[in-house]
Amino acid sequence: MSRFALPSGHNVARPRLSYLASPMQGTVIAAALGAAIALPFFVGEFWVHVANEILILGLFAMSFNLIYGYMGQISFGHAAFFGVGAYTTAIIIRAPLAETGQIGWGIFLAAILAAPIVSALVAAIVGWFCVRLTGIYFAILTLSFGELLYYIVFQWYSFTGGDDGIQGLRPPAVLMATEGYYYFSLILVAVAAMVVWTITRSPFGYVLRAMRDNQRRAAFLGINVRVHQWANFVIAGAFAGFAGALWGPFGRSVAPGLLGWQKSGEAVFAALIGGANYLLGPMLGAGVFTFLHAFVTKYTEYWPLTIGVVILLLVLFLPGGILSLVPKAWWTRRGASADVPERTKEPVPKS
Amino acid sequence: MEFGFDFVFPQLMAGISRGMLLFLVAAGLSLIFGVMNILNFAHATFWLLGGYIAYSAFTAFGPPSGANPLLVIPATAVAVAALMLLGFGLERVLIRRMYGREVPEQLLLTFALVLIIGDLIKLVWGVEDRSVFLGLPPAVIFGAFINIYYLVIIAVGLAVLAGLYWFLQRTRFGRIVRAAVHSREMVEALGIRIATIYMVVFGLGVGLAALAGGVVLPLTPLALGADIDLIVQCFAVVVVGGFGSVIGTFVAAILIGVTYSFAIFLWPDGALAIIFLFVIAVLVVRPWGLFGTELRT
Repeated sequence: MSRFALPSGHNVARPRLSYLASPMQGTVIAAALGAAIALPFFVGEFWVHVANEILILGLFAMSFNLIYGYMGQISFGHAAFFGVGAYTTAIIIRAPLAETGQIGWGIFLAAILAAPIVSALVAAIVGWFCVRLTGIYFAILTLSFGELLYYIVFQWYSFTGGDDGIQGLRPPAVLMATEGYYYFSLILVAVAAMVVWTITRSPFGYVLRAMRDNQRRAAFLGINVRVHQWANFVIAGAFAGFAGALWGPFGRSVAPGLLGWQKSGEAVFAALIGGANYLLGPMLGAGVFTFLHAFVTKYTEYWPLTIGVVILLLVLFLPGGILSLVPKAWWTRRGASADVPERTKEPVPKS
Repeated sequence: MEFGFDFVFPQLMAGISRGMLLFLVAAGLSLIFGVMNILNFAHATFWLLGGYIAYSAFTAFGPPSGANPLLVIPATAVAVAALMLLGFGLERVLIRRMYGREVPEQLLLTFALVLIIGDLIKLVWGVEDRSVFLGLPPAVIFGAFINIYYLVIIAVGLAVLAGLYWFLQRTRFGRIVRAAVHSREMVEALGIRIATIYMVVFGLGVGLAALAGGVVLPLTPLALGADIDLIVQCFAVVVVGGFGSVIGTFVAAILIGVTYSFAIFLWPDGALAIIFLFVIAVLVVRPWGLFGTELRT
């Protein structure tokens, strides 16, 4: 880890790894978790299904936000790692399912855990090229890699099933029930979110913010910008893959669209709707997005028009996302700084 | 498959005309980004809307099939005029609020426009594909049969390239636009109303997209969602050429158009994948595109 630590000679206080930075945050998180646990007792199966979707999409959006909110680069190809994860799990459990029609817990969990590893490997290759660029060039390069992977999956019939995707991905019996899979997702997503939180509050997480606010200054401090960005890209890819792993057995199928840029767009929406400056902003945004989708498509086929108007209004009138409505002081102990300091608008010297 | 001249030449012409279409749309995209630093995700949606308006104008003047081919000209003119007005209006009401915002927020706002305009097109024109048929005879050039309309599109593309070059290099307004690329503040300090410049540039860029929409109408049917395919390719063009460079955009558009037109024969479903491979190769070797410089990020 010494590679990722701040250079010696700079006496930087290590941020406390406290999970409850303020009583307020603790209360909010406990309330949210409690509500999530209690949910299946109060609503019908349909909304439990929607909530499950929110959890998975939310984790995916949180992984995207490691690159966007914390590192300050926008990726349009992040769904590639989500899709690679989903396909990894699907391909591993496909064979035993085809033979017996059932899947054991051991191989199922192994398939879930293999997904982030494969996604991280793919992200390591893609990221190696992408972190050399910034801004719109970074965005287009990630988009290009994502679309390339999409077409590979789309065309490789013998291995991925091509545009048919892979169907019949049944989880173990206990998880076949909507509630069962929901609690399974809730546990895994909660653990993953906690790990993400730990990462963002580590010295590594603060290096990410330093690079976001002023890449050149970070480099002057002796931070190896590319190595840190690359490491973060790989980490973000791994969490996207983990979210993807949950997706296949949840929907019982995978399709190439999981890798497409529209899916990447959902992560961007979620982060911006909820608030990219907050750890749980993307999760909240995913909730709003998915809930709106489930709600609106019940009444009208003009879903794009609806979400378009919502996004338009949000960008114009609430640029920091929904969580920016909450006063800063609520999040922090007396006088302490906010958990995720907002990006500062410093003049960047021109070359 | 024979890779003789009879195959290569028509394919090359198809590729070049496709490149011209990409250029017409990407030029506006590049101009708007270069001058206003706004990344307009909705640019190809304006192209599609222009196409639908041109279709409605065309069918108002005559039948969709077998009408006088020259009707394309007034139909395109109507689309360009309508979209320029829309562009001016949108710049005044929406885009103006986005100056100085972060790139992702601009993308999000313009992507919202993609969703809204796309659905409005669906509301007005329905889900059926729309096309006009001119019934022009093919031209025989060097013994190969060429769709004569390719030549029209190539001529329009070259005319726009020349026109843009003349406008930016030789006119007073063009000089102001180029100055605004480098320093908005200085242009403002010299007493030039930058707000008007921005509005005109945005309207002009959108008008170029509408021009492409009208001109391409007799060649490819209009379909919902076609804008999404095109905008992704236009971003590829602009990035490969280098943002803000008209010549770069032109060269990249032709390169990508021709690559696509041959790739679609080698790998029909994966032609776009080859385009993305091309973009990756260029960006890895030349991070600012073929003709671009590290101006603003």
